[in-house]
Amino acid sequence: MSYSKRDDDSGRIGYHHYFDKTTVLQEARVFNESPINARKCRALLTKILYLISMGETFGTTEATELFFSVTKLFQSKDAALRQMVYLVIKELSTVAEDVIMVTSSLMKDMQPTSEVMYRANAIRVLRKITDASMLQGLERFLKAAIVDKNAKVSSAALVSSYHLYAIAREVVKRWANEAQEAINAKPQSAVSAATSYMTSFGGSVPSAYNTVSNSNIVQYHALGLLYAIRQKDRMAVSKLVQNYAAKSGLSGSVLRSPFAQCLLVRYACKVMEEDPSSTRAVYELLEGWLRHKSDMVNLEAAKAICEIKGASTKELFPAVTVLQGFLSSGKPSVKFAAIRALNKLAMTQPAAVAPCNIDMENMITDQNRSISTFAITTLLKTGNEASVERLMKQISGFMSEIADESKVLVVEAVGSLCIKFPSKHHVMLSFLSGALRDDGGYDFKRAVVEAIFNFVKYIPESKEAALSHLCEIIEDCEYSKLSVKILHLLGVEGPKCPQPTKYIRYIYNRVILENAVVRGAAVSALAKFGVNVEDESVKQSVRVLLSRCLDDADDEVRDRATMYLDVMKTNDENSYIKDDSTYSLAYLERQLLNYISNPELADAPFDLSAVPKVSRQEEQERGVSDQLGSLPSLSGPGHSPPQSGSASNGAGAASRPSASTGPALDQQAAYAQKLSEVPEFASFGPLFKSSAKPVELTESETEYAVSCVKHVFGHHIVFQFNIKNTLNDIVLEDVNVLMTSVSEEASLVERALIPAPQLVYDVPGIVYVAFERTILEEYPECTFTNDLKFIVKDCDPQTGEPDEEGFEDDYQVEEVSLAVADYVMPSYIPSFTKTWEDLGGEYEVVETLALTTSPGLQEACRDLISLLGMHPLENSGTVQGSNVHTLYLSGIFLGGIPVLAQCRMTYDSSTGVTLKLGVRSASQDISMVMINAIA
Amino acid sequence: MASFIQSILDWLRSLFFKTEMELTLVGLQNSGKTTLVNVIASGAFQEDMIPTVGFNMRKVTKGNVTMKLWDIGGQPRFRSMWERYCRGVNAIVFVIDAADHDKLDAAKTELRNLLDKPQLANIPVLVLGNKNDLPGALTVDQIIEVMNLKQIANREVSCYSISAKNHVNIDITLQWLIKKGKGK
Repeated sequence: MSYSKRDDDSGRIGYHHYFDKTTVLQEARVFNESPINARKCRALLTKILYLISMGETFGTTEATELFFSVTKLFQSKDAALRQMVYLVIKELSTVAEDVIMVTSSLMKDMQPTSEVMYRANAIRVLRKITDASMLQGLERFLKAAIVDKNAKVSSAALVSSYHLYAIAREVVKRWANEAQEAINAKPQSAVSAATSYMTSFGGSVPSAYNTVSNSNIVQYHALGLLYAIRQKDRMAVSKLVQNYAAKSGLSGSVLRSPFAQCLLVRYACKVMEEDPSSTRAVYELLEGWLRHKSDMVNLEAAKAICEIKGASTKELFPAVTVLQGFLSSGKPSVKFAAIRALNKLAMTQPAAVAPCNIDMENMITDQNRSISTFAITTLLKTGNEASVERLMKQISGFMSEIADESKVLVVEAVGSLCIKFPSKHHVMLSFLSGALRDDGGYDFKRAVVEAIFNFVKYIPESKEAALSHLCEIIEDCEYSKLSVKILHLLGVEGPKCPQPTKYIRYIYNRVILENAVVRGAAVSALAKFGVNVEDESVKQSVRVLLSRCLDDADDEVRDRATMYLDVMKTNDENSYIKDDSTYSLAYLERQLLNYISNPELADAPFDLSAVPKVSRQEEQERGVSDQLGSLPSLSGPGHSPPQSGSASNGAGAASRPSASTGPALDQQAAYAQKLSEVPEFASFGPLFKSSAKPVELTESETEYAVSCVKHVFGHHIVFQFNIKNTLNDIVLEDVNVLMTSVSEEASLVERALIPAPQLVYDVPGIVYVAFERTILEEYPECTFTNDLKFIVKDCDPQTGEPDEEGFEDDYQVEEVSLAVADYVMPSYIPSFTKTWEDLGGEYEVVETLALTTSPGLQEACRDLISLLGMHPLENSGTVQGSNVHTLYLSGIFLGGIPVLAQCRMTYDSSTGVTLKLGVRSASQDISMVMINAIA
Repeated sequence: MASFIQSILDWLRSLFFKTEMELTLVGLQNSGKTTLVNVIASGAFQEDMIPTVGFNMRKVTKGNVTMKLWDIGGQPRFRSMWERYCRGVNAIVFVIDAADHDKLDAAKTELRNLLDKPQLANIPVLVLGNKNDLPGALTVDQIIEVMNLKQIANREVSCYSISAKNHVNIDITLQWLIKKGKGK
């Protein structure tokens, strides 16, 4: 709760409104009185807690003073007072100094001789005030408390251990046996631990403290702790799951607590995530849990099954049936959970959810709006075309009654529906524009606008209608951000429409009526009309409109107008307005950082040419793919978004290659960060390129899993070997990689070898080997054989303690090779022909080759792209014709030199693929190197 | 019969004249503070205690006097907090390990630092040389000499040589303390 809200909130509560921090601190003197007035003290402690909960903060001195006064209250035997003391100390423990002072008193309270209420709470407070250094002294008591017969004490100790695990991993690790014992303990004196804080503060300890309950919450806490201790060890976790899941199959499971069962379900899913080969076994477990007697466990298991990636309809069936059963449950919470799970499933697997349609139809009219919203949005995904209209009508009926978040949900569902049923676009479009007239926050409006954008993008026949809706929106839009977005889209799409002038009026209205941000966007949009519309009269009108913007009050708007006018005058539009390339932002950021952090580079201007370019569309797709996690409805696997077919690489398959360049650059930034931490590589300068994917040098099932990443610097090449030890009974020390060149390559000299000091089980380690290219004009291609050399030491699988003695051993892994592609970074350029002409034929190298290894044109394209390490342009990555194809490639060679390649290929069934390869660059040498990569 | 009336009178007197007093025990670590408190409270001596982390609080009733004993940890990290618990008490008890000659200097410094605090002016101090059963333990006169007790002005200072283990001089210590309680 925010601090500023305190006043009106406390005013509403009434009873507390007449005190504040100052008076409370004044009154704190009552704690030092003798004898202690327990009632008065307790009331004051309540006030302190109230203030803290309202967001009041105490300074360190204030809190420390208060804390020490409160410690005086330990002399009172009043149980209710002591309880408040515990609570206040917990709150103050983060602010006050020397809170460790109460350790002894708390330890006394947690002894088995004191009352249960004291013991459980004292343990919980103790973990708040203690630190790793004190833990040794407490260990004995906490261990005893974990296995205490009383559930409250045991729970308190388990939960405290769970928190302590973060600060003292090694100590808490030793308590696993106790935790296990706590799970297996018989519930003879099971006293509900959940109530340990729910005692009333009425006076003496309430008798409710000893009510027997069968919640078995201890098992939940103990299982959580066990998992925390073992989570790093994949085998141990899967054993944990198997162990408890197996026992639950028999009559009377060990885990009586449904909470603990739910936890186990989640851990089972984690096991499956980390080890896909266990999917089958885990699925069977989950299916078993569907028949558990607790709703909670059924739901958790059903949800888990629904979230299995790539589950078939048949596998989903039992889970859906269980959820379907819950749909008619009397409890709204169960109903809600079930429909939400189904809704999520419907995004990816509508067919699997379809059997529940009748039940969901009944829920449309549910009293609870959240449930009905989910029901309708689910139905929209599972239903057929005929029911869409009816459902839409039904939602419009109560759109105004539901909260913004639910509205967003509905709008997103409609947005994705448009792709599924394009023929219904007029219904949906009118629904959306109706929705826009409703009241709603920014998030809701944005969702509507994005949904309409989808129409423009994917349904050509609805484009004009959608655009005119958008025009109406900006007429009366309170959010500048949205206006800017819409104006941009109008600028892009408007000129392509048959009647572009229609939109110009709306856009120019913005220039007259809006704030500077929107005016700027409107000017840019206008300029796009001026450039892209062929009609000369339109161009003339835009020029007039833009010149009116020249006296705008805002600098940015004026500047834009001036620039665009000039651009239109000189017809230099290609390089400014039509250019759809942008720098790869992650890479650019890294280069700039490097430039700023190295003072010796400051003399020279920053070299932009070394930064690879990507098309705007790719950059956007990356942004979208980042968002996809939160917004999966827009591009479910059922309908991959059709490519607009402009300058992206390879239509149809475009999403894959572009996705690989984006994350690769991010990945590279991560590598660069890591490499910069190695002092030996500091002199190598900025990182040019890292190979996109680690090359696996071993089979996945071997003792040591090794993969290699190549990093190319200006004059150096660094091989990074990621090595993982998969044997839990040995430890490797001083791990080296000996790289031997197969061909005698004189120009590569090994400069550094950084071994991994120790490799323990399942923790990957890194060995670096660095080479220098001694002859700068040569870009050697070469293959290395690799031998791991290390010292093996046996160790105890449980503790991981290695033996003293070890022996030397080695291990051969597969070869790694350095190719021309490693010196080239793929880069996007907007127009191949123009750049090709600009480079000129001075350093062009042309060669004609027969590609004997490639069986067809498409394979040839793939091979060429990977051999040259360049970026395919203008959709040339995909072969259209059957016999002839031209592939256009662009890249940046080491040192920031742009390279272009034109590959004309012909295919003949008798001779195979014949290639005429032309390479142009700014240097004869580099062109030759590129050609030689193929030849 | 007379004894019965006497006991009733005693009881009545205790009702009316019941006094409550607060005492704080400080001193370097391992000087025997917690042990002493246990001996006063229960009369039982326990060896091999774990160091006090923070403070212990005990209430002890002797006759018609209830003593609240604040036993504060003696490790260096707690010494700065002694003062907080000494404010407003009836007496400060400073316990020394009389047989540990190496730490006497530190004890002297800590005692002087504590008594220099203006908040604690005029509070009577009792210095106890504990562990006089051990060989090489200082006598009362030696303690007064070494600790420079004669230099302390403006307050009442007493010094006893005791042994919590053998119950030596515990009774006169108690008498002194109870007297402080009644003196107010």
